[in-house]
Amino acid sequence: MSSRDFFISRYEELGWKYHNIMLEQAIRINTMNIEATDIVERLKSIGITIKKVPFLNQGYWASSPKFSVGATSEYLLGLYSIQEAAAQMPVTLFTHLEDKMVLDACAAPGGKTVQMADSMHDTGVIIALDLKKERLVALANHLERCHISNTIVHHIDARHAARLGIKFDRILLDMPCSGNFATDKNWFKQRTLKDVERNAALQREILTETLKTLAGDGEIVYSTCSLEPEEDELNIDWAIGSLNLEVQTINCYGQRGLTNVFGKRLDSSLEKCRRIWPEQTQGFFVCKLKRRKAA
Amino acid sequence: MQTKKKESSLTEFIDDFVNRFATEITIDRTLLVEHSGRVFLLTENLKKYASKGFYYAGTYLGKIKSGRFFPSFNLLNMITEKKGNSIVVNKKTAWLFVCGRDVFKKGIIKVSGSPRKGDYVLVLNTYDECLGFGRFLNDLEGKKRNVVAENLLDIGDFLRRERRSRN
Repeated sequence: MSSRDFFISRYEELGWKYHNIMLEQAIRINTMNIEATDIVERLKSIGITIKKVPFLNQGYWASSPKFSVGATSEYLLGLYSIQEAAAQMPVTLFTHLEDKMVLDACAAPGGKTVQMADSMHDTGVIIALDLKKERLVALANHLERCHISNTIVHHIDARHAARLGIKFDRILLDMPCSGNFATDKNWFKQRTLKDVERNAALQREILTETLKTLAGDGEIVYSTCSLEPEEDELNIDWAIGSLNLEVQTINCYGQRGLTNVFGKRLDSSLEKCRRIWPEQTQGFFVCKLKRRKAA
Repeated sequence: MQTKKKESSLTEFIDDFVNRFATEITIDRTLLVEHSGRVFLLTENLKKYASKGFYYAGTYLGKIKSGRFFPSFNLLNMITEKKGNSIVVNKKTAWLFVCGRDVFKKGIIKVSGSPRKGDYVLVLNTYDECLGFGRFLNDLEGKKRNVVAENLLDIGDFLRRERRSRN
C-alpha cells in the first residue's frame, strides 16, 4: 500500500472521505492599525476580490488575478497579514487576552503572535519562542511590519521555557507538526507514520514542559495543522490522563473531536476539541486546556 | 547612509537621525537596549522580562553597523507622528517608491515642513502613511522629471528581506 493510500484509508476510517481541495488565500485585518471597513474598501479599490470568512471576526478570503496579495503597500504597511483561515482560530479561543502574560511557545513565523498582540491591543507581554534562528528573522520582520511593541522573542526551544522563570496566564501551543496535504502537494510522498509518531512525541514533551510555566488558573490553546490523530486527539487523551488537564468547551468552526480512534475509546471530553477536515480551510485541530480543579 | 559616529550613546544616534527631519522625539533612555547592534525601545513592563537576553524586544528602532545608524520603520512612524519633514506623493509614485525608485517632482502632491537640500524627508502616501524616507534634493523648481527625493529606504524592503532570507 502506498503512503498516499495508507493515509487516505485512515481518514476514511475516521469518517472523512478524501477529496482534493483548492485553498483560497486568507488574510487577517490588523485592527490595531486600521478599521476593517477602511481596509476592505482600500483593497477592493486596488482590484482585490475580498470575501468575509463567515466563522472569523477579522478574516477574509482575498485574491487578485494580477498581483500577489502579499505584495501590496497595505500589506507592507502592516494593515493586514496573510494567515490561513483555520490558523486564525486558535488565538480567538483564549478568554480575555488584554494585559495578560502570554507564551507563544512555537512562534515563528509570527502570524499568531501578531494576532495575539492585536487582540491584546499591544498591552500585557508576549514571550515568543522558536528553536530555529532563521525563522526568527521572519518573526522579527513580521513584528516590525505590524508595529507590535509588547513582544519579547527568545531563541529557545519550547521545551526549555521554564528556564525563563516566568508564569504565564495564557499559553499558545501551535505545535510543530506533520502538516497536511491541503497545504503541501507533496505531503503524501514525504510523510510516513514514523514522522507522525515522532512529531506526536515531541508535542507531548512540549506540552509537558510548558505546562510547568502555566499560572494556576491559566489557559492553554493547543493546535496543529495535522489530520493525524496521534498528534491531535490521542495526544490530548494522553494529556488528560498524564498531566491532569481537562478540555474546555469552545465555540468555533469545525467538527467535534474524535472519541473513538481506530477502535480505541478516548475520554468523552475529547468531543469538546475541534477537528477541521479540509474543505473551506486546510486541515486543522484545536482545543483549549486547563488544569483539572481538585474535587 | 546615516550619520557616521564611532562612539556615541544610543540616544545620540537616534537624535542625530531624527533631527535630519527637522523634528525631535523624546525617548526614555533607560528603556533603550542594544542587542547585537540592534536598538530596541522597551516599556517598563517589558523591561522586567527582557533582562535574560533576547532576540527581539518591544519596538525595534534600528541598527548600528560600522558606526552608522540604519532606522527601522517603527522609528520612521514615530517621526511621522512628530510631523517631521515630509512629502506626500500620488498613487503611482507611491508604488514606484515602494519598488525602490526615487521620487520625481511630478509625483509630489504636497511638501510639509521646510526641507533643505540634503535633509531627510519622509515619503507619505495620500493616507499620510509612511512608505519610507529619502534624501531631499531640493529641485522643486526644476523640470517635472527631476528627482526631488532620492530613495534611501522603503517598505518594499520587507519583501527584499524575505527574498534574501530564502536565497
